[in-house]
Amino acid sequence: MPALAKRKSSSLASRTEHGGSMDLRSENTGRSNGECTPQKRKLRSNSSPMKASPVSTPMKRTSPRRSADVNLNTPENGIEGKICKRLPKLRKSPVKSLLNDFTAKQNWNPADAEQIRAVKEALHVSTAPSAIVCREEEQKKVLEFCKSCIEQEKAGSLYVCGCPGTGKSLSMENVKQILLDWAEEILGKDQPRKRSNGSTSPLQLLQNLYSHKPQSSGRKMMIIIADELDYLITKDRAVLHDLFMLTTLPLSRCVLIGIANAIDLADRFLPRLQSLNCKPAVITFRAYSKDQILKILQERLTALPYTIFQLQALELCARKVAAASGDMRKALCVCRSAIEMLEAELRESSNNLNCSSVETTFFEKHNDPDVAVVKKQEIDIVRIDHMAVALSKTFKSQVVDTIQSLPHHQQIILCSAVKLFRGGKKDTTIGELNKSYVDFCKSALIPPVGILELSSLCRVLNDQGLLKLGQSREEKFKRVTLKVDEADISFALQVAFWPFPCLFIVCLCETGNPFLPKLSSVSSVKSSPDSFVLDFGGILFQVLHPLQLQGISALERTHCLKAFTQMRKAISSRGECATHVSFQQRVDF
Amino acid sequence: MGRENPAEKALGLLRRRLCDPSFVFKPFSDSPDSNYSKLKFIISSSVTEACNNSILLLGPRGSGKIAVLELVISDLLLEFPDMISVIKLSGLLHSDDNCAFKEIARQLCVEHQLLFSKMASFDDNSQFMIAMLRECGLAHKTIIFVLDEFDLFSQGKQRLLYSLLDAMQSVSSQAVVIGVSCRLDADQLLEKRVRSRFSHRKLLFLPPNKEDMQRLLENILLLPTDSTFPQDYTVQFNAKLQNILADERFKDVLNTYINTDSTVNYLLKFLFRAVSNMDLVTGFLSLENFKTALSNVQRQPKLECIKDCSILELYILVCMKKLEIKEQNSYNFNSIMKEYKTVHDSFQTSDYYAQNVCLRAFEHLLQRELISFTDSRGNNQSIEFRPVKLLVSSHELHQGLKSYRSCPAILQKLMAG
Repeated sequence: MPALAKRKSSSLASRTEHGGSMDLRSENTGRSNGECTPQKRKLRSNSSPMKASPVSTPMKRTSPRRSADVNLNTPENGIEGKICKRLPKLRKSPVKSLLNDFTAKQNWNPADAEQIRAVKEALHVSTAPSAIVCREEEQKKVLEFCKSCIEQEKAGSLYVCGCPGTGKSLSMENVKQILLDWAEEILGKDQPRKRSNGSTSPLQLLQNLYSHKPQSSGRKMMIIIADELDYLITKDRAVLHDLFMLTTLPLSRCVLIGIANAIDLADRFLPRLQSLNCKPAVITFRAYSKDQILKILQERLTALPYTIFQLQALELCARKVAAASGDMRKALCVCRSAIEMLEAELRESSNNLNCSSVETTFFEKHNDPDVAVVKKQEIDIVRIDHMAVALSKTFKSQVVDTIQSLPHHQQIILCSAVKLFRGGKKDTTIGELNKSYVDFCKSALIPPVGILELSSLCRVLNDQGLLKLGQSREEKFKRVTLKVDEADISFALQVAFWPFPCLFIVCLCETGNPFLPKLSSVSSVKSSPDSFVLDFGGILFQVLHPLQLQGISALERTHCLKAFTQMRKAISSRGECATHVSFQQRVDF
Repeated sequence: MGRENPAEKALGLLRRRLCDPSFVFKPFSDSPDSNYSKLKFIISSSVTEACNNSILLLGPRGSGKIAVLELVISDLLLEFPDMISVIKLSGLLHSDDNCAFKEIARQLCVEHQLLFSKMASFDDNSQFMIAMLRECGLAHKTIIFVLDEFDLFSQGKQRLLYSLLDAMQSVSSQAVVIGVSCRLDADQLLEKRVRSRFSHRKLLFLPPNKEDMQRLLENILLLPTDSTFPQDYTVQFNAKLQNILADERFKDVLNTYINTDSTVNYLLKFLFRAVSNMDLVTGFLSLENFKTALSNVQRQPKLECIKDCSILELYILVCMKKLEIKEQNSYNFNSIMKEYKTVHDSFQTSDYYAQNVCLRAFEHLLQRELISFTDSRGNNQSIEFRPVKLLVSSHELHQGLKSYRSCPAILQKLMAG
């Protein structure tokens, strides 16, 4: 949605006050979510002349956003000049490193709040970059299309598609700006706006406009940029059709550019245009590759006069994000949170330093000053480990942590659900779950809770998104499905607790496991000094003596032997066959 | 008022503390690793650096997400008096986009003393919000949007989320969007456009571990050593409490309680019950208070019902259980009587009663809802012929028999065998 567009249009509106530029208004057709609504009310901010540039004015209190000298007669491209204006301010920041003279770029002092703020702002999603890299190809195509349409004074439609975060709206803004300037040079002044009156709907007005002969000669071309086009899809697809049909009317003078995410929007929702032979041309904005992301990040950071990131850190970020989605916003977000990691580390180290400040001053006097400075410099840039932590925080799912911190009974419920669904069933009822749960509790020697309590625990798990509860009149017949992957649960709970009281279980007997005989033959196994039988939850497992195991290394055999003897001791002290066991991750029983 | 018993005052103080979430979560605000500090750092850096941010608070219900958020916001309001305004929305009330925008407009109007018109349309409200965001951005006021029950906002077309997050993409607005949800996968529910604009910061609120739990208990239950209470009373109270907290049996009680639900809210309910059981005569908490609280919480209504049954009724229940084990899917009173006779014949019990007495016992069981008819219609049959089913599970029956005051051994044997 054109948040950027709105900003530009306000600057546009203010520039028309100054007069002289072409009034390429983008109109709104009826109920669309199109570009922006006509600026009926002038906001206070618009009237003040400083608003011409997107950099905000200094207000009563000290603002973190300094406006450098804002030149009222700024160059036409407001966006391009923004970062340049900020540079003079930044160079005045104090820099402490001694190695200043030897490096091309100054060293960054992360303790300086001003510099941190500048860096974060350069990496913020809302900051439009000074030059839009990696999208030159696509922009060129769009520009050529629009220019040819304008020159030949004929209508056309274009469809831009791509995943979120690939720079579509940004590029369209840029294109619009370039076209405005280009058109200003080539074509003449604007025409006075015509007031519309009467009760005709806007759609009819536009259609009339384009079907009949023009009243005045030399009417202007109109470029319509419609962002988030898929919100216009109604059940009968009338709105989209009417919009695109505007370009097919005989005397139409509008160029329509639609932006959306789906590649096949034009095919699926506008089949009729095919017959009229005016299907919109499609330009795909592919997801960013690793090199492109790296280039864009570096471009944003070149504006700052110091190095902030280690090159490997940036590469790691680019690689991970490109592999995941190719979404530029995510890359910027990860970089910002890496800076925050650095800040946190600095805070911690300064806390430690404060405690031992006497020692350090002592050392600094005696040691080489260069060494001390080099040490300090190591904390100064964002290293690869900061980036790794930031990446893991962004991409990690919280499921494993949450499952590990659930209370025991809820974990038992998850395990009993896993056991029930092993046979290929995908859902069950609370009554069945209760039976399985009670069996687990018996083998873990924890008193089970009643079925009322169980169903309220299931509801808690449902709220958290781990289970899914269906509706039913009776509690016992509510259907239960697992929403978490079974592998996550087993991984989360494979912690070994030994010996008692026990947690879990999670068993994992797989029929393909070479260490375990098939279940059908279990009934013939008896307890022998070499192996014993575990009964848990009604399923029998035979635990073989490690010497009988084939195909494991000596180290694993020692581990197995240890676990085996411990288990056997525990079981014999209990005097019964059924017990709870815990498994270590390496050993697969 | 005369001399107030310090025990009563202490009780009042403890109860007040337990009902005040900001008191409960305050000790966690010191450590730099806690969610409080992380949240505070993120919001305050957004305010001071004038950039936009979004964050999601996740955790089970009752783990203190809103409490910590309120603490952070009240601290920030003190620190930056005029630079923050807070808009609160709830997914239960405002999940419809129209309602949400109306509510945002209303709250903004109240905050800035503007007139709010109820007749404003959806477009007007959304325009207003975007204009206000821009204005506040210019005036360097950050708007904090708190979206409670965030997962409910992601139903439908997600227009509110999209407009909010998209407005935050422009330089001119200064806003922080904080989503609070109990669903772990709340951000998977978002559309990909909205998810792309949402910065993937998540704070997980996990139940407290052992040290945190200890700190929590001490913070709540220890009396302050200032002059509100007589000095010797305070010292004695605190010493006794420390003894209880270090006692193994207390730890067992606590662990049994927390095995079901380990959120802070649940723990507070338990403490409230325990504190209310405090003996006002002695004026000190004891281990018994906690044990009674536990047994009050872990009630099993059906077990208590079984304990009130007569021996004959128990016989009837056990016979029904045996019939179920024999896999007779539907049985009625007459078949139960046959089973009863068989039991009597094989074991020569002394509890053999006539048919009409048994029928009375049967009706009692029906009234107490330990058994019920399988079909609810009746078909004008008399009670003896309608099929019945058990409403207690075999486990509950077993438990009930074990805890019955003078259960005949035969019944236990029948249940086991």
